Amino acid sequence: MPPAGRRIGDDFVDDSDSDVSITGLDEEPSRSKAKGKGKAIDRKKKDQGKGKAKDQAYAWEATYTRSWDTVQEDEAGRLEGAVQDLIARGRRRRLLAPAAAIRRTIIRHLVLVLDLSSAMMDRDMRPTRFDLMLQYAREFVTEWFDQNPLGQIGIVGMRGGLGERIGEMSGNPQDVLKAILERHKLLPNGEPSLQNAVEMARSSMSHLPTHSSREIVVIFGSLTTCDPGNIHDTLDECVKDRIRISIVALAAEMKVCRELCDKTGGQFGVAMNEGHFKDLLFELIPPPAQRAVARTGGGPAADLMIMGFPMRLPDTSPPSLCVCHSQMKSEGFLCPRCLAKVCDVPTDCDICGLMIVSSPHLARSYHHLFPVKPYSAVMTLDDTPEPSKRCHGCAVAFKEMPSTMLGASGEGMSFYGRYRCSECHNDFCTDCDVFVHDVVHCCPGCGK
Amino acid sequence: MDKPSHLSVIVDLSPTQWAFCAQSTAPPGLPLQTFLSQLLAFLNAHIACKDENTLAVFGAFPGQSVMLYSSTGEAMTSTTEATDPNTYRPFKTLDSTVMSSIAERFNSYDVTEEEEPIGLVGCLTKALCYINRTISVVSASAQGTEGATRSIDPRILVLSVSPDQSSTYIPIMNSIFSAQKLKVTIDVCKVFGADNVFLQQAAHLTGGAYVQIERTDALLQYMMMSFLPPPAIRQLISVPTQDRVDFRAACFCHKRIVEIGFVCSVCLSIFCQPVPVCSTCRTKFPIKTLQRLNASRPLATTPSTPGTPRPLTQKNGAALPRPG
Repeated sequence: MPPAGRRIGDDFVDDSDSDVSITGLDEEPSRSKAKGKGKAIDRKKKDQGKGKAKDQAYAWEATYTRSWDTVQEDEAGRLEGAVQDLIARGRRRRLLAPAAAIRRTIIRHLVLVLDLSSAMMDRDMRPTRFDLMLQYAREFVTEWFDQNPLGQIGIVGMRGGLGERIGEMSGNPQDVLKAILERHKLLPNGEPSLQNAVEMARSSMSHLPTHSSREIVVIFGSLTTCDPGNIHDTLDECVKDRIRISIVALAAEMKVCRELCDKTGGQFGVAMNEGHFKDLLFELIPPPAQRAVARTGGGPAADLMIMGFPMRLPDTSPPSLCVCHSQMKSEGFLCPRCLAKVCDVPTDCDICGLMIVSSPHLARSYHHLFPVKPYSAVMTLDDTPEPSKRCHGCAVAFKEMPSTMLGASGEGMSFYGRYRCSECHNDFCTDCDVFVHDVVHCCPGCGK
Repeated sequence: MDKPSHLSVIVDLSPTQWAFCAQSTAPPGLPLQTFLSQLLAFLNAHIACKDENTLAVFGAFPGQSVMLYSSTGEAMTSTTEATDPNTYRPFKTLDSTVMSSIAERFNSYDVTEEEEPIGLVGCLTKALCYINRTISVVSASAQGTEGATRSIDPRILVLSVSPDQSSTYIPIMNSIFSAQKLKVTIDVCKVFGADNVFLQQAAHLTGGAYVQIERTDALLQYMMMSFLPPPAIRQLISVPTQDRVDFRAACFCHKRIVEIGFVCSVCLSIFCQPVPVCSTCRTKFPIKTLQRLNASRPLATTPSTPGTPRPLTQKNGAALPRPG
C-alpha cells in the first residue's frame, strides 16, 4: 500500500511520531490526548469518515448523549436542511467509490476473534464493551452471510491467556450465531493472548484451497497481550500463508496491532464511539477487492470450479432416503450429475463429489461485480428540450421550480431533485436514486 | 384481514406471444381481449375488497415498461367521460385508464420492426421503486398514530406469457433480492407458454405462488382463488405451491441455461464449458485445471438447451377447484 497522507482534522496532528507532545502538554491538553487516537484511524478511510469525525465526540469525552445537537434547524425552523445534508453525504460517498474495482474475492473464509479479557468489562461504550461487541458481532455475522453466501465463519475467543475455539468454521449463519448466542458462556476474564488466538485461527484455515481468501478479524479491547512466544514469528507465518488480519481496537492503537494489519494487507481502526465501532466493523463486510498482483507474489491462485445447480423437490414428493443422513425425507435437492438426493445446499455431493450450489447463492454476489453507474445530478433543465414530469422509477411528480433550500453541503445535490442515468438518460427522484444504488442494483430505465 | 394491501400487477404485453396464444389450439388459446376483460374484473375485485387497498398496474411492452394505472393517481390520463350512474366510479376510472394506455401503446407500435425483448425487468424495478416510496410515506405518516409500523402489505403479481430471456438473469435476481429485503411477495401466473425458470425462482424465494394455467378459459377463477387473498391469509387457505423449483442458472458466455457449470473462483461467473480466461474479470485459469475439466467432461451431461422440458410430477392443485 502506498503511504497515504495522514488525515488532518480539527483535533488531529499529523507530523509527530512521539506519543507525547512536550510543548503542547500544558496549553492544549485535549489536543495531545486526541493524538494517539488520531493516528489510529485507518488512513484508507479518510475520505469517508471526514464529515463524521468532526461531529462526533469520543465516547469518554461525552458525559451526556445529546442526540438533538446533531440535528440543526434552519431559519424557518424546519429540519429539511439537516436531512438533505445526510442524503448528500451518502451520495458523495457513493461517487467516491471506485467504479471499476471488479476483481473481488468472493469465496471467503473468516475467523472472528473476540476479545474476552477483563478489559472488555469497561463501560466507556454503553452498556459495556463486551455487550456491545456481542451485539455487533451478531449483526456482523448476519450481514456478512447476506453478502457472502458462499463464505464460512469460525469464532475464536481470547480469555485467560489462551485462545479458545468458540465456533467451528461453518457456512451456516445459524450455527455461527448459536455459538455467540449465550452471553454467560462468554463472560470475560483474565488477559488476552493475541498470538495464541491468531495461531489458533491460522491452524483452522491451513487446509483451505488456494483460491479462497483467508481472513482474521480481531475485535481487541485490551491494551496488553500476554503471549507465549515471539508474535513476530506468527506474523511472518501469516504473511506466508496469505492471511489478512484486520483489527478493530476499542482502546487505543498498539504498534503490534498496526503492524499485523499493515504487513498482511488488512485494515486497522480504533473505534472512537459506539457508532464508529459499528462502521469500522461493517466496513469489513463487502468482499475485498483483489489486488492484481499481491505483494506476497502471485496472489491467490484463480481456478475454474465445476458446480452443479440442483433441482429442489417439493414437500409433497414421495419420501426417499437422502444420501447425507440416510433419512426418509420428502424435500431435498437432486444432484444434477448423479441424481442423488441431498438435504441442503451449498454442499459437495456425497456420491460424485460435485459441488452443489443453488444459483441464487451465486447471484447474490453479482451486484459487487456489476454495480450501477452513479447518476449525475441535474443542475439545469435548459439543455433538455422536454424534461419528463415524473420520476422514471416511482412516478412521483418532480418539482417545477428549483428548490432554494439546500443544506450547507449541497454539492452533488440537484436543485430540481432530479438525478439522471448516464446510460438511458432517464430522470429519477432522490428516493429512487438511493434505492436503486443501495438495494436494487439495477437501473429501471436501462435494466443494467 | 384488517390491514389494507397493496398490489402491483405486471402484465406481459408482448404482441407476438399474445398472437401465438390466441392461435394456439393444443391447449386452447386465449385472445388478448378476453384476457384483458378477465384481468379488469380481477383488478376491480382487488379494490373492492377493502377501501384502503391500493393498486398499480405496469405494462411490459417490447423494449418498454410503462405504468398503466396507479390508485394514487400518477398515471391518470385526462378522462373527461360522462359519468355513468350505473357503475362504481373507481371501477370505471381504472378500466378506462388501463385500456386507453394499452391502446395508446399498441397504436404507436411499429409492426415492421423486429420485436425487442419485453421490458419485464424495467417493470419489476419500477414496481419495487413504487412500493419503496409507498412504504416510506406510509411509515413516516404512521409514526405519530398508534404505532402501526407496516400498515400496507405489498405484493407483486406477474402475468407472464413470454419465455425466459437469459440476458436478464442478473437484473431479475437483483430485483428478487431487493424484494426479499422489502418483504414483498412476488406471485407469478404463467398464462401461456413453457415454465419460466427465473420467475419460478422469484416466486419461491419471496414466498409467493407460481401458478401455471392449465385451462385458459378459467383464468379469472385461477386469479380469484390464488392471487386475490393477501399473503397473510394464504397461510390459512392452501394456495397451490410449486411442485419443483428449478435452480438452474444462465451461463455468461452463451446465455444458455445450464445444470452443471464452470465457475470462476474470483468473480463466480458461470460458463457452460471450460474457458482459459474469465471473460468478466480477466483471470487466467491454470492449464492443468482446464485439462482436468476437459478430460472429465464427457462424463458430465452436456448442458441442456433452454426450454428442455423436464419430467413433471402431478401438479399440486389441491386448493384449486377443477374448473369446469
